[in-house]
Amino acid sequence: MTFWWLVLATGLGTFLIRYLPLRHGQRLIHAGSRLERFFTALGVAALTALIVLSAGEVWWAAEDMAIASVAIVAGTLGVFVTLRKTGNIGLATLAGALIYGLASQGGL
Amino acid sequence: MNGALSSWAAGLRASVSLMVGYAPIAFSFGVIGVQSGFSPCQTLAISAGIFAGASQFLMVAMLAAGSGTLAVLSTVLLMNLRHVFYGPALMARLQKPPRRLRPWLAFGLTDEVFATAMAHAARQPLDGAWCLGLATGAYAAWVAGTGLGAGFGGQWQTGDGVISRAMAFVLPALFLALSMQAYQRRDWPIVLSALVTTVIGLAWLPAHWALLLGMLSGALAGTMMPRSNREAA
Repeated sequence: MTFWWLVLATGLGTFLIRYLPLRHGQRLIHAGSRLERFFTALGVAALTALIVLSAGEVWWAAEDMAIASVAIVAGTLGVFVTLRKTGNIGLATLAGALIYGLASQGGL
Repeated sequence: MNGALSSWAAGLRASVSLMVGYAPIAFSFGVIGVQSGFSPCQTLAISAGIFAGASQFLMVAMLAAGSGTLAVLSTVLLMNLRHVFYGPALMARLQKPPRRLRPWLAFGLTDEVFATAMAHAARQPLDGAWCLGLATGAYAAWVAGTGLGAGFGGQWQTGDGVISRAMAFVLPALFLALSMQAYQRRDWPIVLSALVTTVIGLAWLPAHWALLLGMLSGALAGTMMPRSNREAA
């Protein structure tokens, strides 16, 4: 029973952490204010931090960090080139992941 | 109504790359949940009720290690605290902030959904129904992936082939693609600040705190840029 209460409380708490600022936070943001610029910049900042975090996890988990480094660079280039050629985020993601997979196994 | 529905469908289509990124992680969560002693039903309930990636792994690990209820609850909520910034940022970019959709948008506002929505907003106006479609796809992939992992977890063998390795790089590749599409030259102080802070933070702090610090530092750099630099972003 405790487990279900915990799931309920955690789910509700996580929801409120997301919902309350979404519902009330906008009142504090005025056009052209520093706060508006803060929230506008937050998207790019979050993406950058998420790249560091997720690529860092892949790098730390690798058996050979030198091979992983080369594979991460190869995967990044794969994403870049595919995105430039096709403009499709899904294709670029899959191409980058596949190139990383090949490079990390010594296939490139 | 048709406009909202087609916008929702467009958001759902845009979520395909997110779904590809989520599915293997959710599958892993399902496997780990069952292997940690939870029933498939309990594992699925965590994903369906909480929908917060990394903190779910932490929750299962803490419970399996015998941590107390309050310790687990407070740790998971602290880990998810960074999400307080996402709602106002999302609402500030929505063309017509939809009142009725707010609870649903909030429920689906994970790191990845937020990042994808912000990357979309850098190129074209953001619509509430589109965001909901995006979150729907992500949630469906997360719950379905967990269900498959929990259901077939016992038979799962971790592979070491190209596909298995490629799956590990799906989320970094997705974030790279999103940021390449959202990036504008004038954003470099934001990127540099977030990058350096996150790297330094990772050396000293748990990953979720490094993420929060990196985001805040990048966003603060954005407030210090001349207004004309950020207005069009």
